[in-house]
Amino acid sequence: MIEQFCDWLSRTSLSIAFQSANWFVPVVQTVHIIAIAILLTSVYAVSFRLIGLTRSTQPLAALAARSAPWVWIALCVLLCTGILLTITEPARELLNWVFRVKMLLVLALAGLLLLVQGRTGRNPDYWTQSAPRRRAARALGIATVLIGAGIVTAGRWIAYV
Amino acid sequence: MALEQTLAKLQDLNLPTQIRESVWMFPTIETVHVFALVLVVGSIMTVDLRLLGLTNKERRFSEVAAEMLPWTWTAFAVAALAGMMMFSSKALTYYGNIPFRLKMVCLSLAGVNMLLFHWLGVRRLASWDHQRPPWTARMAGGASLLLWTTIVAAGRWIGFTT
Repeated sequence: MIEQFCDWLSRTSLSIAFQSANWFVPVVQTVHIIAIAILLTSVYAVSFRLIGLTRSTQPLAALAARSAPWVWIALCVLLCTGILLTITEPARELLNWVFRVKMLLVLALAGLLLLVQGRTGRNPDYWTQSAPRRRAARALGIATVLIGAGIVTAGRWIAYV
Repeated sequence: MALEQTLAKLQDLNLPTQIRESVWMFPTIETVHVFALVLVVGSIMTVDLRLLGLTNKERRFSEVAAEMLPWTWTAFAVAALAGMMMFSSKALTYYGNIPFRLKMVCLSLAGVNMLLFHWLGVRRLASWDHQRPPWTARMAGGASLLLWTTIVAAGRWIGFTT
């Protein structure tokens, strides 16, 4: 079923046009990597604060609000460039288990970010109000750092598996 | 040529040979390189955008720079080390590769840009720390954005030409 879809997609005129332009994949991948740079820096700035690794004159809520638009814009660019790369080489992505793991990690990261942004947005002091919440903040910070690293790792290994 | 003989010797050393012949070592080192470089680029872009007066406008430049640059340097050290390991595994191939040379030139230019900014741009920082930077500092920020984008593009291009 997925094999047939990949086969069909790779024969569409759009896919063939992308495949025949040698510059297309490296250029789209470059945009993809720069968007990852923006995403990971914006996410990690908040993660490190949640863990307690960094301090700043800027309150956590202000930092989270500042990073939020960058996070979601970068995710949109990543989705768009990812779709372009998938159209170009459907089997390389859709039939690859590492690609599937990467997509699950992206969904998990997006979910955790919504949680962090939602709670912080409604109550700026949410993560420091009690010991369990401080522990939760630390756990969420560590989880988002690891998932972010996992996404980058999976992304690179799609090419090798 | 002497340099080529040195590079041939380098890639015949133990570790470079292992990296070249192993199935998993190169992709693993490359993963570390990519992970570190996205943090280098992301943190530098944050400083560049502040220099251009586009983001973090109400925060002092020196504050933004002091928060980001330690991460930039740590990540850069990791990316450079991983990059040197990858280079050593196929030194002669990379040496002759045009995108690789372009990447090294742009990295050097990014270094020169940073030094010039430190010597010239940071002077009288107190007078613009809290506002839109002067044109020299904005130029340095714009040049840095352009150079790092080219570095990423050239780096990706190496993978398609070796």
